[in-house]
Amino acid sequence: MENKIPSFLIARSSAAPLAEGRGRLRISFIEKSIQHLAGVINIGHAQWESASRDAFLQKIDARVKVLFLLFYVVIISLKRDLVSESLIAGLIFMLALTSRVDLMDLYKRVLFWGFVFGFLIAFPSAFNVVTQGEIIFPVLNLEKSHTFWIYHIPQEIGITREGSLGVLMLTSRVMNSLALSFLVLATTSLPEIIRALKVLRVPDSFLMIITLTFKYIFIFTKTVEDMFLAKKSRLAVHTGNAESRRWIAGRLAFIFRRTRMRCEEIFKAMLSRGFADEVRIYKFSRLAALDWSAGICLFIAGVIFLWI
Amino acid sequence: MENIIRFERISYLYYNRIPALSDITLDIREGERYAIIGANGSGKSTILQIMNGLIPQSTGSFLYRGHEVTEKTLRDKGFLKYFRERVGYVFQDSDVQLFCPTVLDELLYGPLQFEMDQTEAMDRATEVMQMLNIENLKDRPSYMLSGGEKKRVAIGSALMMNPEVLLLDEPTNGLDPRTQCFLVELMLALSEAGKTLVIATHDLSLIAEMHAKVALLSEDHRIEKIGPAEEILKDDDLLLKVNLIHEHMHYHGREAHKHRHSHYFFHKH
Repeated sequence: MENKIPSFLIARSSAAPLAEGRGRLRISFIEKSIQHLAGVINIGHAQWESASRDAFLQKIDARVKVLFLLFYVVIISLKRDLVSESLIAGLIFMLALTSRVDLMDLYKRVLFWGFVFGFLIAFPSAFNVVTQGEIIFPVLNLEKSHTFWIYHIPQEIGITREGSLGVLMLTSRVMNSLALSFLVLATTSLPEIIRALKVLRVPDSFLMIITLTFKYIFIFTKTVEDMFLAKKSRLAVHTGNAESRRWIAGRLAFIFRRTRMRCEEIFKAMLSRGFADEVRIYKFSRLAALDWSAGICLFIAGVIFLWI
Repeated sequence: MENIIRFERISYLYYNRIPALSDITLDIREGERYAIIGANGSGKSTILQIMNGLIPQSTGSFLYRGHEVTEKTLRDKGFLKYFRERVGYVFQDSDVQLFCPTVLDELLYGPLQFEMDQTEAMDRATEVMQMLNIENLKDRPSYMLSGGEKKRVAIGSALMMNPEVLLLDEPTNGLDPRTQCFLVELMLALSEAGKTLVIATHDLSLIAEMHAKVALLSEDHRIEKIGPAEEILKDDDLLLKVNLIHEHMHYHGREAHKHRHSHYFFHKH
């Protein structure tokens, strides 16, 4: 071996001295990708940690929580007054508090997505062009009103009382539904949620596919993160967009190949353990007294909300 | 010999929440053979990734030849070139490291990045392929290589820049005995050539063969002990404590007995 070591390897490594201050390097696509991938795994860990806490909703069986979520989403959609929506929001807040969920994180997400999918979408309907009614905030005064086909644009355009109430109503419904969904997600591990979907008669094979997908998302995210680190370890100059695209295309091909191979391996592993076209998932344990009592209390509260 | 790498009280949190390293302080001298050993999940690979400037330590400082290595300093083109030319990294999973269309492209990637003369780069690639016995693979894509061949190409691609420090993450993992033997000989030859080798492994026979200086990591991600391989390997209690050896029961004839068992050399009775 000694005789085979090339002469350049025996020579001293680059003798070039350190020359700092030759400009800053932009390797943003690598850094951003690594951060993004780390973010995906981080979300998974945060969700798992939050779902493993010893608190109220975490102790309740996933089936009860899934039914609770569906029942309350229906109630939220049926209610037509802001008071009921506020009471439901209060109940969700109390549940989040007793479940020791990170309230800041929960409501930050609720506000963001509620603003995007609730307020922004509904906002145009606040104007008298869409919703007729008493103008409380005039915006524009035209010379005269216009009528095109079935559409009518009044002379004075503004936000109406009825329109703004409608926007508030829709936004509060979206925010309540989101808060409820995020709360159930934060207090139940995803594999448990997927298994709980069995109560909704989702086919076993479909549940198994989702479970495997969820698991392998994390495995492949880690592989992709390692690939980016390997690229970073050999990167000392700025790479152009074309080079970055070529690299990403090559790595996509690699991931595709690996996924296909892994898929074959998993199938062989399933066959070797007795798989014969039928998926059987381990049966759920029986509901405990706490699950029954919590389920009944939440059901009664839901009926009261429907009543008022 | 001067210190080439210095870790001062380095800690690292994986994804900002899971502790991977706690308060690691170590010095590596130029030309040294240095092994970082520990059980699975003790933080060996994380140390190597920080040493290669791939992930930034959460706290503490990392000095390379007295220069602080941080995310900020690695953004400086001059320092990054200086650092990357000198420190090579061989990943545990060769698949993630090999991303060029063919073996030859893989070897030429680093030198061309550093704007090396193309003739010189090709000469180096030919010499490295001869050294690693992979000349016949030069036009093959990496996915058509065996595990041992991939490892050779990965080492070759790191050596092309003639780094003074070579970081090897579990270099013998999953390789057949003949390729393992080839790698050990190669590492010893590189060490003879003056390279500083830092090896992360839980293969105790490897560090015994390499006669390396050893940093032993505990399962709570701290340095348990630093010392010569001979001294560390003799200390069964210490190895048992960090989960690198175990106690097991087996039969001699009709008599069962229990003893400590390490997977290097052979059973120690």
